[in-house]
Amino acid sequence: MPVSNLRLIAVSALLSQIIIGCDSDDNSSKYPDYALVEKLGDTATAENASESGHGFSTPIPTLTDDELAQHLTGDAHFETAFTTAPNTEHPELDGLGPVFNNQDCNSCHQRDGRPSTVTLSTDQDRVLLSSSAGIFLRMSIEDGLCDYPDADNDYCNNVGVDGFGTQLFHRGVLKARDDWEENPFIGQANVYLSYESSTFTYPDGSSVELKKPLFDIEIPYDVEADEQSNSSIMQDNVRFSPRNGMPVFGLGLLELIPEKDILALEDSTDENADGISGRANWVFDPIKARDGDDTPISLGRFGWKASTPSVRVQSLGALRGDMGITNPLFPDESIANTALHESYLTRTNNEDTGSDIYGEPEASQSFSDDVVFYAETLAVPARRNIDDEDVLTGSILFEQTQCTACHTPSFTTATGELSIGGKDAPEALKGQKIYPFTDMLLHNMGDELADNRRDFMADGFEWKTRPLWGIGLTKTVNPAAGFLHDGRADTVEEAILWHGGEAANSRTLFASLSEVEREQLVSFVMSL
Amino acid sequence: MFKKSCLSILVSVTLLSACGSDNDDDNTSFDFDATPMITNLTEDVIVAGYVDLNTKAEAFVAAITTLSTDKTEANLAAAQQAWKDVRQPWEQGESHIFGPVDSLSIDPHLDSWPLNTSDLESLLSTQDSFTADGVRNSNDDVQGFHTMEFLLFGDGVEDNTKAITEMTDLEIEYLSATAEVFNGYTQDLEDAWLVASDANNDSSEAYKDYLLETDNEIYSSQVGVIEELINGLIGIVDEVGNGKISDPFGADIDSTDTSLVESQYSWNSLADFTDNITGVQNVYRGEFDGEADAAGIIDFVDAADSELATRVDEEIATAIANIEAIAGSDDLPFRQAINDADARVRIQTAIDSLSVLQTSLENDVLLLLNEWNVQ
Repeated sequence: MPVSNLRLIAVSALLSQIIIGCDSDDNSSKYPDYALVEKLGDTATAENASESGHGFSTPIPTLTDDELAQHLTGDAHFETAFTTAPNTEHPELDGLGPVFNNQDCNSCHQRDGRPSTVTLSTDQDRVLLSSSAGIFLRMSIEDGLCDYPDADNDYCNNVGVDGFGTQLFHRGVLKARDDWEENPFIGQANVYLSYESSTFTYPDGSSVELKKPLFDIEIPYDVEADEQSNSSIMQDNVRFSPRNGMPVFGLGLLELIPEKDILALEDSTDENADGISGRANWVFDPIKARDGDDTPISLGRFGWKASTPSVRVQSLGALRGDMGITNPLFPDESIANTALHESYLTRTNNEDTGSDIYGEPEASQSFSDDVVFYAETLAVPARRNIDDEDVLTGSILFEQTQCTACHTPSFTTATGELSIGGKDAPEALKGQKIYPFTDMLLHNMGDELADNRRDFMADGFEWKTRPLWGIGLTKTVNPAAGFLHDGRADTVEEAILWHGGEAANSRTLFASLSEVEREQLVSFVMSL
Repeated sequence: MFKKSCLSILVSVTLLSACGSDNDDDNTSFDFDATPMITNLTEDVIVAGYVDLNTKAEAFVAAITTLSTDKTEANLAAAQQAWKDVRQPWEQGESHIFGPVDSLSIDPHLDSWPLNTSDLESLLSTQDSFTADGVRNSNDDVQGFHTMEFLLFGDGVEDNTKAITEMTDLEIEYLSATAEVFNGYTQDLEDAWLVASDANNDSSEAYKDYLLETDNEIYSSQVGVIEELINGLIGIVDEVGNGKISDPFGADIDSTDTSLVESQYSWNSLADFTDNITGVQNVYRGEFDGEADAAGIIDFVDAADSELATRVDEEIATAIANIEAIAGSDDLPFRQAINDADARVRIQTAIDSLSVLQTSLENDVLLLLNEWNVQ
């Protein structure tokens, strides 16, 4: 269908809906039912913080006193910067790395939101990822798709790169590498970021400049500098996927969305022929495996590809992976048994084995519990400007452009005796009518966003629908933050324009709106 | 064009009946023109503080340069004093940790704690020379304030008076490189507020403009700016009372932990804490100590409740006085005070006064935003 026709239909539908709305006695009926909802997290919505950069950082107001105390303890842990072992003054803080991506949680989740996007000055072609970067690369060996996890296929776990693993740790402690005197503080390899530019032109002739990050890898530790092409990570069958930090509020609520309600939205073969599939990612669950479950598989809910089942697995996986801090759920270093780790241990007299002198992991059980609880119990910011006429009109356009086909507005969290990550769930998370604007499912997002890397059942084109709640506060929390899995989009508008695959139709509908209408739709999204 | 106009009118009409001020009929609501206050706090408190920080960072670099060219006791003392001087605006600025100081990762670059003494000592024992580029690409825990403090003052266990004979040429070289990087970040911070929030994008707004002209991608209204400022005050009062002082203080004299004391090498801890709350006072009052009266949060509070405005001002002054009183007649540094029975009583008094202040800010001042008739 020509774009001009699509636009005409969209505008006609919009007008008819408005006019129908005017005949109604109920002022709210002309808008989608979510348009006038202010508290997106129900009683788990933040109070007196949703207009400012504190919007992602407040505890759920209905926590008990004991829960609030644990949350605040976890808050301090979230900002804890780990150091090189041994640290005789602060043994509780040592064990960093020896290779890692950042030293504390906050660096990739600044003020509990997104990290700063790395930018280049006009005289730079590329920039080295260092302590200011909240992005890293996952990697694995290409081995085809995985239909469903079971013991025979190693539960669809990705195959790590020999000598490296499944995540490229671009930073290190001082002596992480054999060649540390020439290359101090460098991890498995250096990673450089550059950008490829393109232009999106709307049917009305206006345009938007877009940028896509590209990554170069240099001086991998496993080969000499003049033999880099021989490195394990430089081979053609290695797939990389950039991963930007994402906001950490509201996660406990997402974990308590009933599984059946998410699965009810699945349409993997697009039986309703709306062009939208929606697939669950069934993933390996380390908590079930630890507890002896014969089928350690759970619905993936967190991460860019829904590859982790719980806040606990996600958080403690990041603690061990991103920072190199072993913990009770992940007691072994990510790089255990690699040549890098073996030589590091030899060179440093086995100071950083991943266990302390009592054989315990670097982060204690209580530290782990507290930091997980913190991420589970951060409140959802309230909306702003919900009475603004552009915002209200934007809600109708949001519906018209079929954004809600994937960005499912609302769920109600489960009630009763519940566990979250293997622990009793706080009452404050239960029975909440929430508005996260995600269906929690995977969707093919097209070639332009594809990372071409499988992650459990997710293929190289699929990404989990991101929640939209709080998205309008992104720049308030961190003015340098970007959107999408690699931070490529500076604005919500750019993020929409990168939508492809199943979302291409919505992008086309958006692009065919007038400039005013596009701004209204974005205003609605920014009010969330 | 006609369709758009019609649509706009339709929506506007229905909105008029659906919406209205929450506060119009509420006798607790109040009016306040926030523009002069936001302008003053942005220009003459926040930005002025960062300009002062950068100026003193330049002076610090100069002091280190002098020390490196003329290694004398007097020049070491001057460098130590220059470190304390530049520390002051930084600590006062912790009452408004938002914007570029966070988005540019300047806070961790400048003020990471704890120091990674293991890597620092390895560097000093294995490397022949140091450059600013090398330090810049190092981890945050071997650069910034506390690295420079450790090199200038020693380990702080017995004293904070490192002798020039204890300082190696290589340490001074590392100091020089670290000071240069440090000053680069303070310049970045000043530029981000005054020139362009993204140094790599000339067309990006100066960060101060986001506060001065709201209805932008950062602050949708002045409510957000004031909420940011008040929550910033709450944040640092909480951090000083429940973290910086309470953590090393411990539950009793047998559970103290001097390793947790901030600025323990220079024994500047009490000055740090005092400056933190002085920073609260600066934002609350709208001016630095000794300057002419200007618009601050106190005026916002006063418009709603003059008694509360005065009470909070007094609570801030009391908290500052109680922190300063911790040293006592013996002028104890904080790392010794936590292990002194008499001083512990004074410390508890300071903690209690910070708790009172925090409660007022959270339960009284912040909630005024709900009563304000935004203009």
